Amino acid sequence: MTSSSAPSRKALSKIACNRLQKELVEWQVNPPAGFKHKVTDNLQRWVIEVNGASGTLYANETYQLQVDFPEHYPMEAPQVIFIPPAPQHPHIYSNGHICLDILYDSWSPAMTVSSICISILSMLSSSTAKQRPADNDRYVKNCRNGRSPKETRWWFHDDKV
Amino acid sequence: MASEEEEEVLIEVEAVEAVYGEDCKIIQRFPPHIQLHIKPRTADDSSQQFVEAILELRAGSQYPKEPPHIGMIDSKGLDEVRQAHLITSIQEKVDELSSCLMLVALCEEAVHVLSHMNHPDGDCPLCLYPLVKEDVHGNSWPFMKLMSCYHCFHSKCIIKWWNWLQQQSESDSNISNATATSSSNLGSRRGLHGAVKNQRSCPVCRKVFQATDIEHVLSLVQTYTSELSLEETETDDDEELQHSELENSRRKEFDALLKLQEENNGLIEPKKIQVLLPGVFLPNPVTPPTVSTKVSAELQQSEQTSTTNTHTSETGPSRPYSKASTSSRNNFGQRKNKMRNPRTQNKQWAKKES
Repeated sequence: MTSSSAPSRKALSKIACNRLQKELVEWQVNPPAGFKHKVTDNLQRWVIEVNGASGTLYANETYQLQVDFPEHYPMEAPQVIFIPPAPQHPHIYSNGHICLDILYDSWSPAMTVSSICISILSMLSSSTAKQRPADNDRYVKNCRNGRSPKETRWWFHDDKV
Repeated sequence: MASEEEEEVLIEVEAVEAVYGEDCKIIQRFPPHIQLHIKPRTADDSSQQFVEAILELRAGSQYPKEPPHIGMIDSKGLDEVRQAHLITSIQEKVDELSSCLMLVALCEEAVHVLSHMNHPDGDCPLCLYPLVKEDVHGNSWPFMKLMSCYHCFHSKCIIKWWNWLQQQSESDSNISNATATSSSNLGSRRGLHGAVKNQRSCPVCRKVFQATDIEHVLSLVQTYTSELSLEETETDDDEELQHSELENSRRKEFDALLKLQEENNGLIEPKKIQVLLPGVFLPNPVTPPTVSTKVSAELQQSEQTSTTNTHTSETGPSRPYSKASTSSRNNFGQRKNKMRNPRTQNKQWAKKES
């Protein structure tokens, strides 16, 4: 499955390492509500447990996010996907890819894993229907060879959900 | 009497206007509705200004019996905590002065509180380390602010980011040249990214830099880029080198210590003892060289017939005092002798000494 596809990545740069260590410390002191970082010794891949917010369609559901950091993080955005089974959401494909502008074109180096998590939870919480994107099957088929969502040319058109 | 009170309020508004001049925008004179652009008192020099705010004072028709409403319209360089602090401080002043004419006093209080907050606060948004921090040598990292939003960054952090973007847009345009006929999708995407190469938005608030900021950043880039990049690779290399060297020398040191300890049954003694261990036969300038060279010559004659002649002539009594070549040769021969025939060596050593 695409979740286990490890893109051939270069090791983290020194800047990236410092920054991630800092983020990890901040996370431990003040984790975003509803998220749990699964501790590993791999700084370059974080697995984060997401709990659907109460009062939303995803209440009492737990999902896993996989965050892979590129060599030049935070200049480059991390790759963030749900480890299947991904939540049913109009912007989340069944292979776990997430259509969210801040993960691609609108990434800014001032964003953090924590702020990404909050954005994703907010995206989940504002969903009004548990359904896949209209082009899910086509997209997932195109990604069969383990393509990263960062290689996708995304169209961001719906800012409501 | 209502008109007299109104008169007083109008005079107060005039006073505010007189004090703050252009920084004060009178939306309405009565009941007063004022927007006030406040800057820290200490910041005549814009490079020393890190905060500013636009406040709104809105009074009702019952003012001053009824307290005015205080709000913040905009601010720069103030995070939520500091924004709240500013508003709370003014609110406290409102309570303190209740039923009095207080607009001027409130404005003064606002400027006063803001002046105390005129320092960059928190971490660099790019590296997440404190903006104002001292390294081990007591040097602080230089930082800069974007004039359009007063967001501050370490200079070297924002320069790295700037260079990265320049690099990306260059490679992007290369790609688009290569695939000029491909979908318009890519084009629109780059439009989002920063169609104008010299125009970027703040990483924190996405406010587009003003021209002055760009010039500021660009001049920094020009002066520091080469220096910085060099510096960085150098320090990286140095660190690696230093690390390995330190590690190696440390290891050697410990190895040597261990060896010494083993040899001396746990007693560590100065190294020179090792150098002068019995059996290591060093040419001694004090002993007459003629004897030792003769000895070696004899031995060499007896053992090595091929090189005898040259050796004897070189080490013979005619050139008694050690030159580099002779002494080394002596040494060589002696060591050889010692190895091959330690008993004779000892004998001769004893003979010479006696």
